Amino acid sequence: MLRETLARIAGFFGRRRSLEENLEAELRAHLALAAEDKVRGGMSPEEARRAAWREFGGVEQTKENYREQRGLPFAETLLNDLRYGLRMLGKARGFTVVAILTLAIGIGANTAIFSVVHAVLLAPFPYPNPERLAIVWSVYGLEGRAPAAGPELVYLRDRSRLFEEFGGVWAQSGALTGEREPEQVKVGQVTSNFLSMLSVKPQLGRFFRPEEQGFGAARSIILSDGLWRRRFGGDTQTIGKSVWMNGNSFTIVGVMPANFRIIFPEGSSVPPEMDVYIPFPSDLAKQPADQGYIRVIGRLKQGVTFEQAQSEADEMAAQLRAQFPAFSEEGLKLRVVPLHGDVVRNLRTALLALFSGVGFVLLIACANVANLLLSRASQRQREVTLRIAMGATRGRVIRQLLTESVLLSCIGGAAAVLVGAWALKLLLVLRPQEMERLGTIDLDLTAFGFTLAISVIAGILCGVAPALRATRVNLVESLKEGGRNVPGAKHDSRSALIVCEVALGFVLLIGAGLMMQTFAELMRVNPGFAPDGVLTFHVSAASGKYETPEAATEFFRKLQKNVAGVPGVDSVSVVSHLPFDESLPNWYSYYWAEEASKQEQNTVMADHRSVFPGYFKSIGASFVAGRDFDDFDIKEGRAVVIVDEVVAERAWPDGVAVGRKLNIEHKISTFESGRGGVEVVGVVKHVQSHSLTNRVRGQVYLPYTQAVRPHMSLTVRSNTPPETLVPLLQAEVAKLDKDLPIYNVQPMNAYVEKARRETRFTTALSGALALIALLLACTGIYGVTSYSVQRRTNELGTRMALGAQRSDIFAMVLREGMLPVVVGLTLGLALSFVLTPLMAGLLFGVRASDPVTLAGSGAFLGGVALLACYLPARRAVRVDPLVALRYE
Amino acid sequence: MTPPRGEVLQGTLDLIVLKTLDAMGPLHGYGIAMRIQQVSEDLVKLNQGTLYPALLRLEQRGWINSKWGVSDNNRKAKYYTLTKSGRKQLVTETESWERMASVIGRLIAGAEGT
Repeated sequence: MLRETLARIAGFFGRRRSLEENLEAELRAHLALAAEDKVRGGMSPEEARRAAWREFGGVEQTKENYREQRGLPFAETLLNDLRYGLRMLGKARGFTVVAILTLAIGIGANTAIFSVVHAVLLAPFPYPNPERLAIVWSVYGLEGRAPAAGPELVYLRDRSRLFEEFGGVWAQSGALTGEREPEQVKVGQVTSNFLSMLSVKPQLGRFFRPEEQGFGAARSIILSDGLWRRRFGGDTQTIGKSVWMNGNSFTIVGVMPANFRIIFPEGSSVPPEMDVYIPFPSDLAKQPADQGYIRVIGRLKQGVTFEQAQSEADEMAAQLRAQFPAFSEEGLKLRVVPLHGDVVRNLRTALLALFSGVGFVLLIACANVANLLLSRASQRQREVTLRIAMGATRGRVIRQLLTESVLLSCIGGAAAVLVGAWALKLLLVLRPQEMERLGTIDLDLTAFGFTLAISVIAGILCGVAPALRATRVNLVESLKEGGRNVPGAKHDSRSALIVCEVALGFVLLIGAGLMMQTFAELMRVNPGFAPDGVLTFHVSAASGKYETPEAATEFFRKLQKNVAGVPGVDSVSVVSHLPFDESLPNWYSYYWAEEASKQEQNTVMADHRSVFPGYFKSIGASFVAGRDFDDFDIKEGRAVVIVDEVVAERAWPDGVAVGRKLNIEHKISTFESGRGGVEVVGVVKHVQSHSLTNRVRGQVYLPYTQAVRPHMSLTVRSNTPPETLVPLLQAEVAKLDKDLPIYNVQPMNAYVEKARRETRFTTALSGALALIALLLACTGIYGVTSYSVQRRTNELGTRMALGAQRSDIFAMVLREGMLPVVVGLTLGLALSFVLTPLMAGLLFGVRASDPVTLAGSGAFLGGVALLACYLPARRAVRVDPLVALRYE
Repeated sequence: MTPPRGEVLQGTLDLIVLKTLDAMGPLHGYGIAMRIQQVSEDLVKLNQGTLYPALLRLEQRGWINSKWGVSDNNRKAKYYTLTKSGRKQLVTETESWERMASVIGRLIAGAEGT
């Protein structure tokens, strides 16, 4: 009946007036023709007119039926109901404003969190076929997320049948020089296919070609959009020009799109934004197998599952172990995981917890609005009764009432978009670093659709009970009673709503309480050093002047000495990796006591750091035993090492580490040729470096001369405020080499702060949600209790007139008000036992079932609820029996 | 005593209207009503008002057309005409009615036979 539907739609949108006139004229003509016939048949005109009407049947009914056939009755009723609903809402301004605000907060919070959940957990990455992208980790014993060595990547690329391709990246830093001032840049060394795996096409020019990778190949470079605009003014003629980096000339072959980011997991040492990309300049296949540094991604072939890919990777790992002694010694395994899942793995629990929390808030908001609607339903009892008495079916009236509540919640939803946009902005300020990698998050169409959907659902949720209630009428009784209600009759559904609100609010409060305790614990935790008053910055002695270890050592030694002379500086030192600084590739490898047996050799994995004397003093780390390095160690390059307590305990369980010899698996030290042990001269407290809560790995510190590298960080302890200090430090560096930029200037505290960000985010959000829930629940409790007091004024007055004491009345009101609260608390407690264990992964220093938090939250919520009941109860006892009885 | 008048059988009104227009050519609503009563010799009780939603429905389905015209006694009235697809529909509906009628006829005859 497409044709009929189209005609009906035309009828619905047609000009009502002319359609009506048309109908009117047709019916009038019919009646006139009939009357004329009858007059001709001998009737009087008056008789004829009446007979014609009688034979016609109901004219109005015909018109009604005709209209129904003409347009879209469903839509017309809806429009009418909406018009009527708007009028009713307009009449009850106070109610409307409160209900809309409540819903706007409830829905808006959902809009904001949903936008984040959608962007982080649901939306695919902006890459070609993102669902087939995998990250391939090398696994060595306990170390499950290690990078791959060159030969490993080449082997995978050549042998895999289930992967379309593999790509690799290694983040480095470099110095751009040339006509403009020197600039420190992040360099992505990539396989020639890497960029094309993550991007459809460059903004300008082309991606790398296979022949551009490897030793002796022409040096090509691709710029990021940011660098291209910053340094080349966004000139389209940049392609083909050359640029100097680290003393070599590179030809610019392309510019990446503006929105391109490398979304890699946190801790993979691959920053999302690099300045330039170059192909690996050496032959990966010929590199040593024991030097893993490449982060590998792979694209599965169409239709291949991750399980299949994993089992192929297992086979390849076995072959690699068979072919390379290095891999078999270290027990190499491979792990294939979806890129998306790996990136968001730490965010999932927090986001899902927040998403459920915000769902709870919406339910509480709905319960509140349902309560308001219930109160209104009793005020409107007369209207409803009248309509039913006039012949409206119950279904019709329910539909009308539901239309009204959905209208209400949709207006709330519209306001919620504003609330959501604002909340999202706030949320993005607080978001943890891991989320930052994913780029900005906006309110998009999906979020709008979601908002609309939950608005409608919320409208139905809060409208159903009141609509059912209002239409369950006993006509005779209601009309006779003048619309007044028997006390208590409405109480069940209201109390049920309060029970729900309190239960949900309690769970939220417990969740927030647990997060707050976690956060407090994180603030209390001793990171193993004293970050207050320490300023840090990076310096890269990367130019040719510092090519020899001696030149580089000399440079940093002089820098340390000169900075120490700056007024206000207490102590200063130089280190390869600052704690919590993820901007550089991490170094770690196996260490073992010289006397360890062969099996024990690959058991202690530790980070290694290259330091100058005075490092521990400058960051405020303390010695457990032994001594710091001294100038003599540096100058003479003595074979000494400092370990932290973790390494010391693992390598020498007997407790004596100083004076023992440590073997180093990796060739990071100048002693590797000898493979001799290095003497432990000191043991320091563990310095938390990756997480405030876990001792991820132990630490081994080598004097700089044993592990020379161009890129170092300075740690400056001083009372001078950073604004004054930074120019002085800059001047000191410039005095030594005016071409060296200093960058990443940050107080040490900023790094520690970053480590707390995820918890702070979850804590702040869950706290905000709990606060909203608490406010809503209290308004609900207060509303219901005071409403009941108001309705029972008469009854209370009678009781008092009959001799009830004020204290009895007071107790009674309190008891009745608190009963659903107590039931709700019990239910909430039970619910929390099911739900809080799910957030265990977010907690630190507190158990999910922490009795203090449970009791505290319960007491808090109960206390606030008591206050919400207290005010109406006080009003109840002030009732004057005489006035109350006259209230009749 | 007037013979009992039957209600118009549900679903047959369309057929009746189409057939009337087929037989009589363009007619206004009142004319259709008169014609039906005439043919049925007043045995069918037609609530004339019910005709109009039905006419609208037939028009929406494209089986009839309507146009304002002037009646014999100079009154403006809306005239309905059968369309080509309306004629086709009439054939289908007539066939299905006849099939139905014969089935019911046979059923009744069979029941009487036992």
